[in-house]
Amino acid sequence: MSLHLDALTVTLGRGDSRTTALDGFGATFRPGVLTALVGPSGSGKSTLLAVAGALLRPDRGRVLLNGTDLAALGDRERARARRERVGYVFQSGNLLTGLTAEEQLLAAASIAGRRPRALRARARELLTEVGLAHRLAHRPDQLSGGERRRIALARALLLEPELLLVDEPTAAVDRSRAEDLAALLVRTTHRYGSVTVVATHDPVVTEAADATVDMLRPPVSASA
Amino acid sequence: MFLALLELRAARGRFLLMGSVVVLVAALVGIVSGFTTGLGDDTVSALRRLPATHVAFASGSASDQFARGLVDDRTATGWGREERAEATPLGVTLTRGTTGRGTEVDLAAFGVVPGAFTDPGADAGAPLDAARPGGIVVSRRLVDEGVRVGDTLTVDRLGITLDVVGTTGRSAYGHVPVAYVTTDTWRRIRFTVPGATARPAELPAQYSAVALRLPPDAGAAALAAADRRHGTRTVTLEQAFAAAPGYDGERLTMTSIQSFLFLIAPLVVGAFFAVWTVQRTPELALLRALGASRRRLLGHTLAQAALVVAAGTATGGALASAVGLLVGAQVPFSLPATTLAATLGAVALVGLAGTALTLRRVATVDPMTLLGAAR
Repeated sequence: MSLHLDALTVTLGRGDSRTTALDGFGATFRPGVLTALVGPSGSGKSTLLAVAGALLRPDRGRVLLNGTDLAALGDRERARARRERVGYVFQSGNLLTGLTAEEQLLAAASIAGRRPRALRARARELLTEVGLAHRLAHRPDQLSGGERRRIALARALLLEPELLLVDEPTAAVDRSRAEDLAALLVRTTHRYGSVTVVATHDPVVTEAADATVDMLRPPVSASA
Repeated sequence: MFLALLELRAARGRFLLMGSVVVLVAALVGIVSGFTTGLGDDTVSALRRLPATHVAFASGSASDQFARGLVDDRTATGWGREERAEATPLGVTLTRGTTGRGTEVDLAAFGVVPGAFTDPGADAGAPLDAARPGGIVVSRRLVDEGVRVGDTLTVDRLGITLDVVGTTGRSAYGHVPVAYVTTDTWRRIRFTVPGATARPAELPAQYSAVALRLPPDAGAAALAAADRRHGTRTVTLEQAFAAAPGYDGERLTMTSIQSFLFLIAPLVVGAFFAVWTVQRTPELALLRALGASRRRLLGHTLAQAALVVAAGTATGGALASAVGLLVGAQVPFSLPATTLAATLGAVALVGLAGTALTLRRVATVDPMTLLGAAR
């Protein structure tokens, strides 16, 4: 089980604003390993996550998740891969307005075609695991940025995805909270055995990660 | 559905506002529908009750024929001789009367031949009797206005005295309750002038029209030929409604109002859902990013719209019915369950059609919008 990115090229924008976000990028990410994706702003970290997470189709190259090329799938199959195989923690806009922490997870279950009631206990377990047992009935506007990210992480883990993608988990979070989040990511990666890729600027996450991939010096395959 | 309900609950303020608009539109359509039916009943229910298939008017009268046209006895007799046709003279005229107890009423006097198919009989008291030409059978609304069996009713100005012998169901003509009299009495009311004491035999043997019962296979050519023979213009019973005073104008007015409401309803509902969709575009992008298919998002949106429109329409229908109960005694308002159901069904359909205007936007939400906002 692994994620293999093969010679990915992605261009964004049109006309004069057209830029090459990824140019022949290649790397391999292994299960149970948290890989930190580092590099300056604009180096293509979020684009790489979007391509790996079947949100964005590359111009060229392959995204092999356990042998399936996500880049070659049609729109419907890519949506299916997102809900069944990928857990995504976005940098912002992660949660649905007006829904409680518990409902955020149950909504994801519903999207995946699973019976929310059957996953209620698991949702509570995960929220407890990310330290939010006391926040089950809180809505996003009643939670801090760190708490919202932890809910998004619990939601991403609910259906035990093969691939966990996390974008800037510690942005605008103080050091103590950042250390907690980084530790949580490492712990969950090891526990659930997912291929975890975290785009980050934060040395706290980099230090906690099992491996690092620098966007400016990409390996042919990332070592774990 | 689970997520649709969660969102409905989470954004209940917005949905309540949206639902309130649907309630008001549905109530308004229901109320207008009630008035349309009520006014229609108030104008032609007596004609609708006639067990006739056609009405033959004097040729040459194009509008308000019951008041303007006259056919004579020979015409009615001639029509009666047509093969497989039943014909009976019918008199229609508006007048006023006062009971012996001082109750003043407007009434539409329908002159019918006792025992003919146009004779409504009597629900209470006795039916019309040719042997008692001074009898009158009043409709239920006249009873509501205080006319009782056994009363004496004097036709205003003419001084013709009639005995109320029976009552029959609710029927009205030209917004006036109907009373049935014999054709002889009707001719007295129609042709007598104040102060004169003419006997029926001295009055013209003429009537407003001839009521016909024709077989279903009566063809237009045969009707036209018979019309030429008898000097009449025959129309179906439904077409004869237009001969009632103001019927066409009222229907046109009320139908225009209803049509505009049916045009406005989808636009209002569509506009609200469009705003709602624009507001939640980032959330739709998140749902797409989490793997929701386009079909699921469309179903999700339609489910929310269907719930809001259904609940709003049902509440609006209840409101229209309540208005009917409140004002039904004072104004012509009639909202039978079938009319209400059909009206509300139409409101719900056009409301959902309005929602459909927003579906394209829902289906084309790009999950990358979420990352665009983040980068």
